[in-house]
Amino acid sequence: MRYAAPAETADQQWPDAWRFFLIALCTLIFCSCRHHTPQTGLPYDAYQPSTAALPAAAYTAMPAPADQTEAWAPPGIQRPWPPEEYLRDGGDRGLPAEVGDQWEVRGLELEDTIAHYDTLDGQTVVEPSNRVHIYSPRFGAVRKVVSLVANEQMDLAAGMYLPEKLVGPTTTQPVATSTQNVQAERQIGTKSTVAFRTRQGDGVLSNATKPRAFQDTFLPYENVKVIRQGIFEGTEMAWLARGVDAAVTWTADQAVQVILDRQSAMVANNDQSLQSVFTVKEPPADPKLRVVKVASTKFAEPGDEVSFTIRFDNVGNQLIGNVTIIDNLTTRLEYVPDSAECTLDADFFTQPNEGDSLAIRCELRDPLPPGEGGILRFRCTVR
Amino acid sequence: MVRMLRCLATEELLRKKRVARRIGMLVLIYLGSVAVLPAAEPGVHFMHHGAMPPGAIGMEQLQRGGPLPGYFQPVEIKAPPGALISLATSGDFGAAQKVPLRVGFLIGQVYRLRVMNIPLALGMEVFPTIEVIDRIYPPPGEQRRFAIPIELTDEDLKLALGGKFVTRVIYLEDPNQALPTREDPQAQNWFEVGQGQDPLEMADALGRPVAILRLGARLPDDVRGPGPQFLFGCPPFETFEPPAAATPARAAFPEEPQP
Repeated sequence: MRYAAPAETADQQWPDAWRFFLIALCTLIFCSCRHHTPQTGLPYDAYQPSTAALPAAAYTAMPAPADQTEAWAPPGIQRPWPPEEYLRDGGDRGLPAEVGDQWEVRGLELEDTIAHYDTLDGQTVVEPSNRVHIYSPRFGAVRKVVSLVANEQMDLAAGMYLPEKLVGPTTTQPVATSTQNVQAERQIGTKSTVAFRTRQGDGVLSNATKPRAFQDTFLPYENVKVIRQGIFEGTEMAWLARGVDAAVTWTADQAVQVILDRQSAMVANNDQSLQSVFTVKEPPADPKLRVVKVASTKFAEPGDEVSFTIRFDNVGNQLIGNVTIIDNLTTRLEYVPDSAECTLDADFFTQPNEGDSLAIRCELRDPLPPGEGGILRFRCTVR
Repeated sequence: MVRMLRCLATEELLRKKRVARRIGMLVLIYLGSVAVLPAAEPGVHFMHHGAMPPGAIGMEQLQRGGPLPGYFQPVEIKAPPGALISLATSGDFGAAQKVPLRVGFLIGQVYRLRVMNIPLALGMEVFPTIEVIDRIYPPPGEQRRFAIPIELTDEDLKLALGGKFVTRVIYLEDPNQALPTREDPQAQNWFEVGQGQDPLEMADALGRPVAILRLGARLPDDVRGPGPQFLFGCPPFETFEPPAAATPARAAFPEEPQP
């Protein structure tokens, strides 16, 4: 009878650490899979071809057109579309803005409009406004100049001149060679693409303007109750939603619904007794600032002036202080100097931003009690 | 020393388990490596380039679908003051018109123009082509207010007269990459690319290409005149009426007639 050497077990060949490492590696690789969806591509596959006919003024006098009453957008795409044809201002995109210990603002990107305030318990709260869209496409061009002469070649008209002699055979000699005396012309590039130039501000508030008297009349585009009186009505929702896609601060009921002697009331009904018990509880502290932003026009061309109106209201139930409203203008909006005005006492500052535009800062001097609000208005030129 | 009694059945079973484990590990590694491929960022491959013949890019745009067929995209053709432009209609060039000229062009078609009365080059003519490859989507009722500007600059015309071939790709600027400068209504912001660079690719990086202007090199036949191939079949276009003159404002309180 023979004895064999002990067989190598699986544990000896594949240690536990190695097996766990391999399984973790495979899990990581599997988790890195993601479905690629085109970010800017158009979902043309889902599109059904339109039946738009040619306009009546077409040169071919084709059939009458179908009236385009609504701008086309691909199915499943949120309006406004396409985004590169619109100027946006407002909201808080990208990293959420926050305020540091020294009231320095971080995470404020271009186009952002926020307001921050201090509560009675010492917290600093940031509230973004809604976002306003203005149709304002701007065009550019890229030029390339080439020479169509790629190869120039000149041949001699004749090979040689040989006069005939009176005596002797006549000899002619064909042209055997051609001289290329001009080289191929090179194509010469003239200019390179101009690089973008950015400028970083020094971080110091560079301009301080005194508040001006507020124009005590409302502009036509401000004829909504939420701007005039600070009362939000559901019937105005559709009007406001035309330029709004991030109405994060006023889409829900955030004000006190029932107030009895400045305190909210709750009703408790008991079916085992004939009497009702009314209890009054102290409402929890809920500081809240509502910021609504509207623009004077829905479309503008370069050079046009656009007015922006920001309505802010303290819809919470306690006093808030150090209310500051900041609008970081995008590159294509140029602030009209000294055009900012506010219904409340406020200080205005401007600061250059990374988009070669300005960040407008409005600081209210006095605390804002509950139920109070104001209007901030300024003008910009579309670049 | 302890020796193990040899048992063929047990040894065979262990061998099968070892083989099964190794095959399983190999399958996992293979699947993991294959899964990396779709997880990687897809490379950008440009289907078109700026040197393609007129009409090729626009026709392929139409095949991609969308509300492009049959839509007359308003364009505004600008040229140096005094220059005249005529569009091809019915196999020949039509009447000369002043600039700026607002017309509606079909997307994907190629329109041949004749530019005359060029300042400091009177008597000479340039025959550029315009190809609209994409449209814009203004709010309802504002389609004619926002037109694609196509500029025939004096420098471009001089280059074309000098035998150069100029390609100008007009693009819709991406607001996130907008130049921090105010646009001059009389002069469009533009870049120039050198040899070896594709203007269409550069325009795509800066925004969305919407039209291509080509000028230079081509001339109609001196004897037979411009043929249908030279005019690209004279595609239809839409003419915009010039803006009506502003009516004088009516007085709020008209004066009463004198007795």
